[in-house]
Amino acid sequence: MKRIRLDSLPGLLPLLLLLSLWELTGDPESPFFPAPSSWSQALFTRGQGDKIVPAVIDTVRTFAFGLLGATILGVVLGLSVGVSRTFGRAFGPTFEFARALPPAAIVPVATLLLGFDETMKVVVVVLAALWPILLNTSSGVQELNPILLDTVRSLRLSRTRTLLGVLLPSVMPAIVLGVRVATPIALVITLLVEYLTAVNGVGALVGEAQRTFQPARVYALIVITGLLSLVVNAGVRHLENAVQRRRVGDAWM
Amino acid sequence: MEPAEGLNSVALSRRQISNPLGVLVLVALAAIWEVLVRFSIADVQFLPAPTEIAKAAQAEIFGGELTGRLIHTVGVTALGWVSASVIGVALGLLLGMSQTVYRYSMTSFEVTRAIPPITFAPAALLIFGFSLKMELVLVIYGGIWPALINTIGGVRAIAPELRDVGTMLRLSPVDTVRKIVFPAALPAILIGLRLGLSLCLVLAVVAEMVGNPAGLGNGLIRARQALQPALMFVYVIAAGLLGVALNAGLRLAARTLVPGNSLTELSAS
Repeated sequence: MKRIRLDSLPGLLPLLLLLSLWELTGDPESPFFPAPSSWSQALFTRGQGDKIVPAVIDTVRTFAFGLLGATILGVVLGLSVGVSRTFGRAFGPTFEFARALPPAAIVPVATLLLGFDETMKVVVVVLAALWPILLNTSSGVQELNPILLDTVRSLRLSRTRTLLGVLLPSVMPAIVLGVRVATPIALVITLLVEYLTAVNGVGALVGEAQRTFQPARVYALIVITGLLSLVVNAGVRHLENAVQRRRVGDAWM
Repeated sequence: MEPAEGLNSVALSRRQISNPLGVLVLVALAAIWEVLVRFSIADVQFLPAPTEIAKAAQAEIFGGELTGRLIHTVGVTALGWVSASVIGVALGLLLGMSQTVYRYSMTSFEVTRAIPPITFAPAALLIFGFSLKMELVLVIYGGIWPALINTIGGVRAIAPELRDVGTMLRLSPVDTVRKIVFPAALPAILIGLRLGLSLCLVLAVVAEMVGNPAGLGNGLIRARQALQPALMFVYVIAAGLLGVALNAGLRLAARTLVPGNSLTELSAS
């Protein structure tokens, strides 16, 4: 693992060059491209420093609840689509439409119906992040070994036991893969909702910094969202690896 | 190297030309919604009935602004997507084929890619103001990433034997790209372009909502501010239908370009 990290260090060169060039030519007072050295300072001017940590916590909370909700809803709907062809056909066009809806377009509707609060934020995140989980779960079910399903039938397992004991564990890798694809989406949509509605979080801070013409602060917050997204994605990749490692030794696949 | 996003998710419905049951469900859902609102069973403030939305849609299509706004959003999305695809695929071919370039730049791309494109909207607004330029820059920037990442993945996954064929035939670098690398990576590239298209549409709508005062996004915000929920739903539905149409168009194009390749049936997240 360490060797890989060292290997990837030379790849940072262009970014560092760009930032150095920016630092040398940039003016801290520039309304467009303030020098990178002025960014961190801009985070803490005029007592705005204490807003950062609560904002990050707010963003992470919305993201986590949104991803959790998307996972539960996505798995339930995905299993239904995978198990029942009729269900899949019946709701196919509805899902197709809902999936193609740009998440930003949902935001005004959500604020109108639910108001400007935490629930609204989570609902929008769920509606946007649900699709990869749903799709991966349903295709996971459809690609299951038919022998597995025949075995279930000949054992006459109850529906609940089939679902919890057989179906769910065997599509687990597909679900986790869906969750991994949904993770960056959930984070982006969290920031988007916050930016559009100004309801708490880092996204709202970026919007505020932009409206009050503080470019250095905008760039500093952009860096924070980048770090946040790196941490979150690394976490999900860990989770995926852990699930895959547990599966080694499952004989019947 | 990450696997290309979307490679593993399969299309929701496998090419169902006619799906009467699905349409019926849609109609039934609309009917339930209508009844709930009409008889105030679900007393949600500001929720218009489907018939009201249809009436608003009719007014907005004939003599309203819908057509103009739709053309704007489609135009910006298409223009941005094409530019982003050209840049992303060209850059991706370079990074995928040259080990040196890959080694000395990939991490920079990975780090920059981690920053959600949405957060660049405020920066773009500060730099370009409330303008078409701001919208285009944001759309192109966001659209580059899926094209770039999938092209790199596709090119690097090409079997070494296939590359050897090019060396053996002494193809020029241009011919190597044209005859071997590009066709072999095409399925992966197409997935990237498709992911990029939906992203471009999302970013165009966002840019219109916060910045450039034009297009569907702006129509949505205007209707929201004017407290005309029916009109707002018209724009939401228009944006959704546009998404469906763009997806379907691209799926068709992919099937014509790479006939019989199962990868083109794969759907993006």
